[in-house]
Amino acid sequence: MTRRKFIRKLIKTGSAIAVGVSWLINKAAPLPQGILRRKFIWAVRVKKYPGPLKPLRDISKQGKWSG
Amino acid sequence: MCLIGPGQSGECRVRINIDGVLRTVVYGYPCSINIDPIEKKPLFHFLPGTPILSIATVGCNLHCENCQNWEISQANPEDENISAYFCPPERLVLLTKGNNCPSLAYTYTDPIVYYEYTYDAAKLARSAGIRNVLVTAGYINEEPWRQLLKYVDAVTLDLKGITEEFYRDVCSATLKPVQNALVVAKGSGVELEVSNLVIPTLNDKPEQIGELVGWVRANLGRDTPLHFLGFIPRYKMRHLPPTSLQTLEMARNVAMAEGMEFVYIGNVQSRDGQNTYCPGCKNLLIERSGFTILQNRLKDGRCPDCSKEIYGVWK
Repeated sequence: MTRRKFIRKLIKTGSAIAVGVSWLINKAAPLPQGILRRKFIWAVRVKKYPGPLKPLRDISKQGKWSG
Repeated sequence: MCLIGPGQSGECRVRINIDGVLRTVVYGYPCSINIDPIEKKPLFHFLPGTPILSIATVGCNLHCENCQNWEISQANPEDENISAYFCPPERLVLLTKGNNCPSLAYTYTDPIVYYEYTYDAAKLARSAGIRNVLVTAGYINEEPWRQLLKYVDAVTLDLKGITEEFYRDVCSATLKPVQNALVVAKGSGVELEVSNLVIPTLNDKPEQIGELVGWVRANLGRDTPLHFLGFIPRYKMRHLPPTSLQTLEMARNVAMAEGMEFVYIGNVQSRDGQNTYCPGCKNLLIERSGFTILQNRLKDGRCPDCSKEIYGVWK
């Protein structure tokens, strides 16, 4: 192995280790107390509505609710 | 943020942890479907004078003691006195089209608690040429907010106060995520309007109004329409009086003195608090009475007198 190839391999290995270590630190670092890691979770719809249902009526009149 | 234990529902009452899986029980089940004038949202700079199909499910992630719609926002889906319609996104789009509404509003409670329903309906509506409008308190994390905004055309966001104390004591929430949602919405390019319910003794002092206006101007720009809405004694705040016209006019004057270009008064009759004036030449552009447009002088989104471009979506 030439000196140039050895240096190239050394740089590649070094940077791979650096990336790996920083990923590990990021993953393992505890968050400040009381703070939980937030994750965006998509809720799954249920098949049956748990409350009473009504048939669709005339919707053309203005809603009584604010907004 | 709330932690939902197995078999429990969240603060919103409509998102449940069943066997470790988060489930939404209100997807496709709105408790209210109506056609409103778009001005009722309030939304004054977005397709004025048009009807908007407006929906809501029960539930809310805030518990404002002054809530104007508490009968549905603080209800459980199981409640016998609040029934729902079966209306999946496909049917919602058909209803909107069938009733000649150019847009669809997710409103009354908060579309954030029926997020998945809002998202799927908005995506489908967009592909059918329908515009989507959110009326929300903006109490949401950035990632889901950005994803939803991709399919949204206009937002009316209720900035309820300008202190953490107000959000904690009155709304059981925090201010920072709401401020972030406002900044992200404005930056995303959707048409953004801000509303603020002025409650006697709680957030109606000129200095409190000034602080709120200063934040809006610095972070959202002076062209952001700002609506000061009159409080009506409801829910846990029946002991407070309704907001007077004088207080709302004071708030409007404070905002205009701070340089805000479009400031409106809502929930009470006012002589000119619902009109749009050109920030350039000060001439009347849109005259309103309640939710009715009396005249609209805009020409291609510009003032007909000085040609200044007016913030909004006009066609």
